[in-house]
Amino acid sequence: MSQKINRRKFLQTSAALAAASVAAPGSHASEMDQAIKAPAIGSNLSSPASLPAKKGPRVVIVGAGWSGLTMAKYLKKFASDFDVVLLDKREQFVSCPISNAWIANQVNLEFLTHSYVDAAKNNGYIFISATAIDLDRAGKTLYTTEGAIAYDYLVMAPGIDYDYARIGVEDPEVEQQLRMHYPAGFNSASEVMAIKHKIENFNGGTLLMTVPTGNYRCMAAPYERACMAAAMMKQRGVKGKILLLDGNNDIRIKSEGFRRAFSEYYADIIEYESSAGITDILLEDHEIETEFDNYQFDDAVIYPPIRASRVLENFGLADPASPQKEAAIDPYKYHLLDDEHVYVTGDSRSQPFSKSGNTAHSEAKYVAEVIVAHARGEEIAWRSPQTMCFSGVKTDPLESMSIIAFYKFNEHEKSFAFDRVHLMEKWSERSGQAGLAWAEGMFRDMFYS
Amino acid sequence: MWLFHRGAVLLATALFSSGLIAEETMTVELTFTPDLNNGRNVYETCASCHLPEGWGSSDGAYPQIAGQHQQVLLKQLLDIRDGHRENSIMYPFVQERTIGGYQSLVDVVTYITRMPMHPRHKQGPFSDFSDEYKQGEQLYQKHCASCHGAEGGGNDKTRTPKLYGQHYPYVLRQIDLIRKELRSVDPVMKGGVDQLSPEELMMIVNYVSWIEVPEGEKAPSANWRNTDFY
Repeated sequence: MSQKINRRKFLQTSAALAAASVAAPGSHASEMDQAIKAPAIGSNLSSPASLPAKKGPRVVIVGAGWSGLTMAKYLKKFASDFDVVLLDKREQFVSCPISNAWIANQVNLEFLTHSYVDAAKNNGYIFISATAIDLDRAGKTLYTTEGAIAYDYLVMAPGIDYDYARIGVEDPEVEQQLRMHYPAGFNSASEVMAIKHKIENFNGGTLLMTVPTGNYRCMAAPYERACMAAAMMKQRGVKGKILLLDGNNDIRIKSEGFRRAFSEYYADIIEYESSAGITDILLEDHEIETEFDNYQFDDAVIYPPIRASRVLENFGLADPASPQKEAAIDPYKYHLLDDEHVYVTGDSRSQPFSKSGNTAHSEAKYVAEVIVAHARGEEIAWRSPQTMCFSGVKTDPLESMSIIAFYKFNEHEKSFAFDRVHLMEKWSERSGQAGLAWAEGMFRDMFYS
Repeated sequence: MWLFHRGAVLLATALFSSGLIAEETMTVELTFTPDLNNGRNVYETCASCHLPEGWGSSDGAYPQIAGQHQQVLLKQLLDIRDGHRENSIMYPFVQERTIGGYQSLVDVVTYITRMPMHPRHKQGPFSDFSDEYKQGEQLYQKHCASCHGAEGGGNDKTRTPKLYGQHYPYVLRQIDLIRKELRSVDPVMKGGVDQLSPEELMMIVNYVSWIEVPEGEKAPSANWRNTDFY
């Protein structure tokens, strides 16, 4: 990696910035506000958002998921003089991690739901419920539904979108039908809730569940979800099966454990098929076509492949060469290759890290330090994000297995690979409890302490 | 069970009475006999992050807890449980509803203190021939040894952590947190840290990471696995 070049570039940039600030004394904030230009989409949007005058370097974070929330908290913690503004189009947070346990009634919805007002109050930053609609990088301005916001640093942590085209769905009509009737459940609480209702009301026949290919969000979750749904069916005495079609040639993670769980507890319910990549979905016939076979289903949860959030593409930040439309960023420092004031983190990053809450959380702590260091003309050593993931296999009480892993750059492959992987595929009640304690600790860190 | 030893662990806890009659501190001493079998069971709550071996991670994301003094471990658990040491993520794990009460805490620290240490923990950049090492040694003996011991062995009775065997990046990060007042510690420790420059602190931490771990406290090899969990 070209860290030396980046360092030189960084030093030049910060020298230039220092010179500029000497040459132009006065109120930096009002100058920035005056410099706001009208976005292409509507002149009214160029009026500034209602925000108090900034008291230090302003970091605007788009997306209040695990990455954005952690980033906002730790920026304030590492640099209390920073002015941090966190944006999300949603009004409240409902966790995607642990939502499978909620589907199976192992935790209640309150466990997953948290307030952005609490998070902002307890950590000293500003939260605005708004959608980012345009970006002027030259003018360092983000346009939002609540008005324009001038930034010194912008962090894009917008998460993911589904990519139905990669399972052969080109017709928007079909895509909408799939989103409505067979939601994937990895991008909004409404989807997860619909899936919970679906499983609770499933009264027999074949419930289809699918596992996408590529670097999808939460690698273990589709397998865990099959276990949770099967446990619910068992409890209700439903005669039926779960057909788990996996586009990959094997279970992607904790494979030994999941295989054992499928055969020990759910042999009469879960039917697992590997190398079953979806090629077409015939909605009216309730039929799914894979490379080798066609399958009938009565109800379904279809998880298509994913891509980085469309907002990256809309802002011209997506790398056209990237199969999941992620931005081209410095793999160690997370800023755009041509802009050290715009960072991309969380599940829309381009590094092939696991798209999980813990990964985003540990990464955001590090990137917060990177941004503070950049503002102060310092540098910090790279730290690997950490993937920590619990998967429930059995309910009442919840029993889970776990994995913890870090990453290392492989010079031969020119890519990051897992490093220091520790797998605990022996599930237990203690581990189930530990998984919930993990989530509680994360919520505590992001919202309450 | 790979090791078994029984002994009583004393636990002192200070209670502040809020009643009208007495306002002075009361000390209640409770005595527990550790149960290593239960310690192993309780450790399952910890093992997903701290690993079955308790060796932590070489980048300092987790400390090596294996072989640490019982009272030091207990103090950290109680400090985190009661909010005296801020650790949001670990907080729910050490609450009574998750890990259990004093008996469970005593059991699990007894289990952890008997775990063999990693034979090759992460060391600092300056080996024992360097000037930085020598300076670090002098500074350590002058500023740290009176509490942490000439050999970095700490002290169970005074709840002073054992320093040898700890991963260099972990200690460095803790010192940095203490310096920036993001981790609160004993005033004597804080005073010591405030007297020294970041460079001096780094040399001390480097020196400490090169202190030899006694043979009897180390696992036979880095491939050793805690068979209680596999």
